Amino acid sequence: MNSDSAKMKLGAFLMAGGHHIAAWRHPDAHARAGVDLEHFIALTQLAERAQMDMVFFEDAAALRERDPRLASQAARSTSFEPLSLLAALAVNTSRIGLVATASTTYNEPYGLARTFASLDQLSGGRAGWNLVTSASELEAENFVSSGLRPHAERYARAEEFANVALALWDGVDTGAYLLDGKRGVYADPAKLHPVDHHGTHFTVQGLLDSQRSPQGRPLMVQAGASDVGKDLAARTADVVFSAAQTLAEAQAFYADLKARLPKFGRGPDDLKIMPGVSPIVGSTTREARAKYDALQDLIPDEVGVALLASYLSIKNLSAYPLDGPLPDMPPTAGIQSRQQLIIDLGRRENLSIRQLARHFAGARGHWQLIGTPSHIADEMEARFCGSGADGFNIMPPLFPGGLEDFVTLVIPELRRRGLFRERYEGATLRENLGLSPPTRR
Amino acid sequence: MMHLGVSLSPFGHHPAAWRAKDATPRALEVGHFVAQAQKAQDAALDFVFLADAQARRPQTELPPQTVPFEPTTLAAALATLARRIGFVATAASAQHELYNLARRFASLDLISQGRVGWNVVASGPTAAWNAEYVAVVSALWDSWDDDAFVYDKTAGRFFVPQKMHVLDHRGEHFTVRGPLNVNPSPQGKPIIAQALTGETIAMAAHSADLMFVTGASHEEGGALVAEVRQLLESQGRKRSDVRALANIIPWIGATRAQARDRFEELNALSLPGSAPAQQGRDVIGTAADIADALQESFERGEVDGFTILPPVEPAGLDAFVDVVVPELRRRGLFRARYEGTTLRDHLALDRPRRPIAT
Repeated sequence: MNSDSAKMKLGAFLMAGGHHIAAWRHPDAHARAGVDLEHFIALTQLAERAQMDMVFFEDAAALRERDPRLASQAARSTSFEPLSLLAALAVNTSRIGLVATASTTYNEPYGLARTFASLDQLSGGRAGWNLVTSASELEAENFVSSGLRPHAERYARAEEFANVALALWDGVDTGAYLLDGKRGVYADPAKLHPVDHHGTHFTVQGLLDSQRSPQGRPLMVQAGASDVGKDLAARTADVVFSAAQTLAEAQAFYADLKARLPKFGRGPDDLKIMPGVSPIVGSTTREARAKYDALQDLIPDEVGVALLASYLSIKNLSAYPLDGPLPDMPPTAGIQSRQQLIIDLGRRENLSIRQLARHFAGARGHWQLIGTPSHIADEMEARFCGSGADGFNIMPPLFPGGLEDFVTLVIPELRRRGLFRERYEGATLRENLGLSPPTRR
Repeated sequence: MMHLGVSLSPFGHHPAAWRAKDATPRALEVGHFVAQAQKAQDAALDFVFLADAQARRPQTELPPQTVPFEPTTLAAALATLARRIGFVATAASAQHELYNLARRFASLDLISQGRVGWNVVASGPTAAWNAEYVAVVSALWDSWDDDAFVYDKTAGRFFVPQKMHVLDHRGEHFTVRGPLNVNPSPQGKPIIAQALTGETIAMAAHSADLMFVTGASHEEGGALVAEVRQLLESQGRKRSDVRALANIIPWIGATRAQARDRFEELNALSLPGSAPAQQGRDVIGTAADIADALQESFERGEVDGFTILPPVEPAGLDAFVDVVVPELRRRGLFRARYEGTTLRDHLALDRPRRPIAT
């Protein structure tokens, strides 16, 4: 548990129809949600009224499935580009944090740092960047002819990328735009610190046109769970999103990551760990279970198995019997931590490929809670108070109903227990997360 | 009917506008830009133009006119608060990975429901590089047929696979598989805009829908438009397939003397050595004088309208909207209200044809 405030942090991980792979087919689903800006404005305002810390959007710069026939059965093939979406949301909300994924593999640091700085200005200090490296071949094919870059190379680039972004954000001090018409000084040169970076991957010189963010710098979020990913997070991240199935896994990850902080001169409160959780809320356990089953029944097997294969970073699982166990697999060039998590779950609970596919298609590898508000609050409280989480990234299976359920049923229960704020403490995302303002590096 | 856009700026387009006695201290706040966009929309102008001071870098200082907003994100924000007018945002090719830029603008076009254009700054290393970049961006915008998405819950069919087109581009400078992972917009795809110069004219004639004539004189602009007409025809395009707008800096006063005084007052405030290249033609006078100048230029038939660069803000745009636009309407030169919903509608440009699938 976080020692500074004893309140959990809550994010709303938004997605068109819902986190469940078949959500868009549900009778209650808004099938065109992915192209409906009003849908996302309404969800973000709902989360803001509930005083949640942030909304979050993931990203992929490609389709998520190569086979057009499979892709055509899933709602996640297309979406708004998240940074333009955050800009649209920034001026239609006033308190909630706005966080999105952007890849260091297929962006350049100047342009991306500039975009997040701009989002931070538009939102008054509420923007955050979830730094990822791209592990998908489909993404690689949209940018380069040389194919997927190996894990180590992607992280070397990400390290340098993060350093350059931080230096660019620190390049303009608060109050740099002097606008002194009498003396003819538009920007105060003493408050400008142009970057002069000559590295392995990037040469970056000059300034952003932005001014220093009301929250000091845009929030830095990461989700990498490999060893090198955890070190990068311990050095540069303010928030880490994670995926853990059991309390023990969550505690091990939490302890490991927090123990890395002193090495970089940081304390345990300087980094908030927010595992993903997909809550399916019912007024009774039976009702929650029925909601879950109704969604699971909508998953086509071939879509579930293809999704599982992509999480395992292997090409094809369809050669193996659907009702048999996972085959042995070589180490992946893709996301190592997620592959291991799936293999562990399959072994621990003796699950077949079909069962694993349905399980992961449902919550996409994240922790799932199915039950009454008090059951869900119990489980969240156990992780929060048991040094497994500083908060949670909420992944409703279906929008808007799943988020409405969480906001109207679970959040009041968390408040009764003194676990979640009554109202926002601050004006910026960092203030609400209880993070101290960053100093110039 | 003439077409009219307005270029937004924090203090106004005159290089010394920020030093004027009535310069607003709120010039760098997003609300100031929102108010300008809404004012332009109240007058049913075709579009708001967002320049990019950082299109050429590195910069080691923040010169006057710098704003803390990157144009594509600013356009997304403004488009939700002004829901009729178009937005043309500047982005430099060398500052964005090609696929990311195509996505950003496709997404803006969805956010705005078909009211977005990309003003191309061709900052790549060579003309061939820039030409390939723009061609591939445009091709990515054709990744989906307009009726590809069917949202059929019962059949579990979100889109029709045959209506998705994998580009699989392998060119001299870029390898891009596609498709773009953004739905097509109500205007088919974003429009492409480019400023006409000796360097850009061939590229603009090939790919632009909207062209900006930025010179300070009629003669210079007229020559560029004549040249572009020839280039268009040599590529099988017609002059009527594109819109060419001249940049105008209107100094509007209740009297000619007042307008002239304002012009001279601002010039006197200019810092030595600070004047950037002139971005458009100064027109100085009363509302009727400005309307005369625009009418005369429009009726010569060289340009289809104008991009207004108010020399001072917010007074410059307010005056243009409050007194010049009504005068243009009285003369039957400008629309009374929006007739369509998309930027293509406003500019009376045809919806682009999708390439025939192979």
